[in-house]
This record gives sequence, C-alpha cells and structure tokens, in this order.
Amino acid sequence: MRKIADFILCFIVLVLLVWQLPWLINFLRTPDSNNTFALYSSLADDFICNQFVGEDKKLHRYGTDGREYSTAETDSLLPCFFMRQLVADGRFPDSIHGRAVTPHEVLQTNISIRLNPRDINGNNIALYPLIESMPKRVDLEWPDDMFRITDTGIEFIKMETNEVKTQKSRLFTEALQEKGFSFPALWVSGNPSVRKAYDEGYLILDAQHRLFHLKRCAGRPFVHEFPIPEGVILTHVFAIEPAARQFRGLAVDTENRLYVLTSDYRIALTGVESFQPVTDRLMILGNMFDWTVSVLDDYAIHHYALDATDYHLIRRLDRTLSDSSLPGLHFTSGDDRFCYPRF
Amino acid sequence: MYYKEWIKTRWYLLLMFLSTSGFAGYCLLRLHRVIALKGIGHVWEIMLTHDVVFVDYLKYVPLVAGLLLAVVQFAPEMYHKCLKLTLHLPVSHLTVITQMLGFGVAIVLVCDILNFIILWSYMHQVLAYELWSRCLLTALPWYLAGLAAYLLAAWTILEPDWRRRVFNLLVSLLVIKIYFISDAPASYNGFLPYLSVFTLALLPLNWISIARFKEGKE
Repeated sequence: MRKIADFILCFIVLVLLVWQLPWLINFLRTPDSNNTFALYSSLADDFICNQFVGEDKKLHRYGTDGREYSTAETDSLLPCFFMRQLVADGRFPDSIHGRAVTPHEVLQTNISIRLNPRDINGNNIALYPLIESMPKRVDLEWPDDMFRITDTGIEFIKMETNEVKTQKSRLFTEALQEKGFSFPALWVSGNPSVRKAYDEGYLILDAQHRLFHLKRCAGRPFVHEFPIPEGVILTHVFAIEPAARQFRGLAVDTENRLYVLTSDYRIALTGVESFQPVTDRLMILGNMFDWTVSVLDDYAIHHYALDATDYHLIRRLDRTLSDSSLPGLHFTSGDDRFCYPRF
Repeated sequence: MYYKEWIKTRWYLLLMFLSTSGFAGYCLLRLHRVIALKGIGHVWEIMLTHDVVFVDYLKYVPLVAGLLLAVVQFAPEMYHKCLKLTLHLPVSHLTVITQMLGFGVAIVLVCDILNFIILWSYMHQVLAYELWSRCLLTALPWYLAGLAAYLLAAWTILEPDWRRRVFNLLVSLLVIKIYFISDAPASYNGFLPYLSVFTLALLPLNWISIARFKEGKE
C-alpha cells in the first residue's frame, strides 16, 4: 500500500515539475517579438510591413524590397485603410485606380474580419436566437425564443416558459425539409446580436455537408441552398454581415481551401492556399479594390493579397515565426477554450 | 469509528451544509433578481453571448468547506495526540485512516450533491437544458477541488514532520491550482472523468503520512 502511495506522489510531483518549471523559465525569459502585421497596397503593388526597430522600438514601415516608407507615404499608399487620417489632412484623393471614390463609400466597403480558433474550439451553447430580418422598426429586436437543431428538426423554445413552440418548430422544420435539408446540422453560424445594421440569419451545414441559408422574414422562414461545386465538401462556414452586403460569409472545405459565399449565393474559391479554422488565426482587412488575408499558424504567417472582385491571388508574402519558448505541459491553449493536459 | 468522526465534526457539518447551501441559494437569488428586473430573455441572452453562468460566487466555497472539514477532523487528533491512541486499536492503521477519510469523502460528496440538487431544482425550470447543464458543469471542477482540498489538507495535517509538511503544502497548492486554471465556462468537460479519478487518487497520499507517523518521524 505504501508503495502505491509513493508511486502516486512521485507521479504528481513529476507532473507538477513538467508543468511549472518550463512555465517559470519561459516567464522569466524575454519572449521573441514577431511582427506579423502587413497590408497590401495596390498603389505600390507591394506589401507594407510594420516593424519595431531601434533602441526605442519605434514603428517603421517597409516594403518587401526593404524600402522604408514615411508615415505620410504609408497613409497615401493605403488610402482606404488610412481614410480618416487623409480626410483630416485634406489629402484624401478624388479617385483611386481611376475610379471616383468618396470617404463614405470607402467606409461602407472596408471590411475587417478576424477568425480565432478559440471561437470554434470550445463548448459553445447550441442555442441560437433567430432575429427578425425584416423588422417593422429600424432597430433589430431580440426574439422571445431561441432554436436548437435536433436529429429530427428545428425546435424553438419560448424563453418565458422554457417550452417548445410546436407550431413554429413545425413550420421551420418543414421549410427546411422542403429545400432538402437533412437533419441534424453539422455546423451553424450566425451573428446573434441586435447591435448591427441588418440581420441575415444563419448559415447551416446539414448532415450531407450541404449549405443552407436560414433567416426569418416577417415571421416566416426563408431558406435558400447554396449550390456547392462537385467534389467540394465544406466543413466550416462563418456568417459575416459586412456593411455593404458584398458577401454572406466564408467557408472552408476538407482540403482547407477558403471560399467566399457571395451575396448571389455563389461559392467563390479564393487564392488562399490553406486555412485550418481549428488551428489557424485568420485576419482579413479589405477594401473595394483588394483584400489582405493573413493566416497565422504555429510556424509562420502567410499574407495573401486578393482581388476584391473575384478573390484571385495578386501577391503573397510568407514569414516564418521564431519561437524559443521551452516546451512543457500545459492545461490551456490560446487556440481553444478547453482545459486538459497537453504538451 | 464513524460515530467517533460524527461526534467530532457534527457541528461543523451543520455549518458546512448550511453555508454551502446558502451560497448555492444566493446564486439562485441573483439569477431570480435578474429575471425579475430584466426578464428571462435577458438571462438567456447574456448566458449565450457573455458566458455568464450565475454560479461564480460558488467558485471557492467547496474549496474552503473541504479544507475546513479536514482541519476540524484531523487537527484535534494531532494536537491532542489522539491519533496515537486511535492507531493502537486492533485494526490495521491503513484501514483506520481510510475509514476516517471515507467518512470525510462521503460527507463532502453528500454536501456537493445537495448543492447541485438546489441549483438544478430552480435552474431547470427557467433555463433550457443547454444552459443549466453548462452552469452545473462549470461548477463541477470547483466541487472536485473541494474534495481534493479535503484529501490534501488531511495529508498535510497528518504529516508528523514540519519540513515535510511544508513540502506537502507546496504540492497541495499546485495541485489545487489545476482545478482553477481555466475561467471559460464548461472548459473542463472532456477532462472531468480523468480529473475525478485523479482526485480520488489523492486519498492514498494519506497512507504515507500515517506510515511516517507510525514510524515515529517528528
């Protein structure tokens, strides 16, 4: 018995050492600084990268050829990103690439999207409010019910009584089944908030990996299926509601290819080589001319400059990241919201 | 043996049941107040969008309750040198200490189950299954921490050598930290079965302290 107890104590001490010692060493060491921000400038046809250099770690901006740009030059080369500064300085151009533009138009068409693996790797609640997409008032209103998708249909639960609304549940289940939806859902994505300009409901992957758009219009179900190209099996979809309604969201397939779900229900393949939603971070900063898509994985950051009209690749910049931290036992990770031991 | 433990701890057990149930009741009262003030829809909304679980006030309650139970049960034994007498009974010393700890573990588990019944009895009426189960699963590691705190505190108190007692304390603090690493709701779900086994595996540590006590280590 004593031997068993001694073994347990040794095991616990070993686990604690493998957990706490690397943490302490990494905590005491200065971490590597990885400058990961870069934006594509269609005017310079190059990426402009941020770097903190010198004793005072001041921000400098460089092109990929090593040329340094002043702050004013950077503002001019990225007129959509620094629009407010250019307007304040009275330097905002009348046209960009021969196209007349206004600050309001730039503001409407600029997009900023961030996808973090933490958002999907977690025990998220499988309840969703279906906001009225055509409200009588200007502001969106939180509904009095929430839905869950079961193996056999969609269930609306009235919050006040915590009971299933059978009539509404049947109406929406039949609407989905009429369009060929197979229960249960593999993936549901929406933006459950009333603090936004408009609501486009949910993008739902059914059991057959078919993609459907569900929203509530004047209390009635609206269901539309996205035609998916042959051979493409979608695994993740992300509903996005940009101010100018240029597109409906993003999707990723089994080959880690990134697609844009257009407003006319097309699935447009982008020039992004690989994006794994469960491990990689994605940032898209876009304007009416081009998008800068940055995909950060464990070893490198990949910047892709895409054309904003058909999402083809214009330029690409890859940077490897340095990581000198000591490996050890961890219970949490920046990539998920789970707690369990992992190396 | 169990009667002796009951006589020793009965007033503390009453306090423990009342205080932990009181904290569980207070959490429900907070939930009820929010429902009364802002409506049940607001509760569902903030639970969905802001990770609110309404059981935050319980976080360290089982830990303190388990810790104090070990102190009430074992500190007088060590202080009044009663343990020496207990270990002279015609029963194996490991059986004696396992029975004493078994009494404490059973009490902690009964208290935990009572707390969960209190929480569930109200929550399941006003919240969907997905919401109330998330609240209870968020609180579960904290209740396991209470059990771990009881076993580790007993291990430390029963240790006869002061230097070794400091080592036990350090190990105990780091082990307890495991139960409170993540603040994300229901983040321990997949790890909970293993964490439960790990928690129960802390019981044999007390055999080391008792064996050292029998060996006459000071």
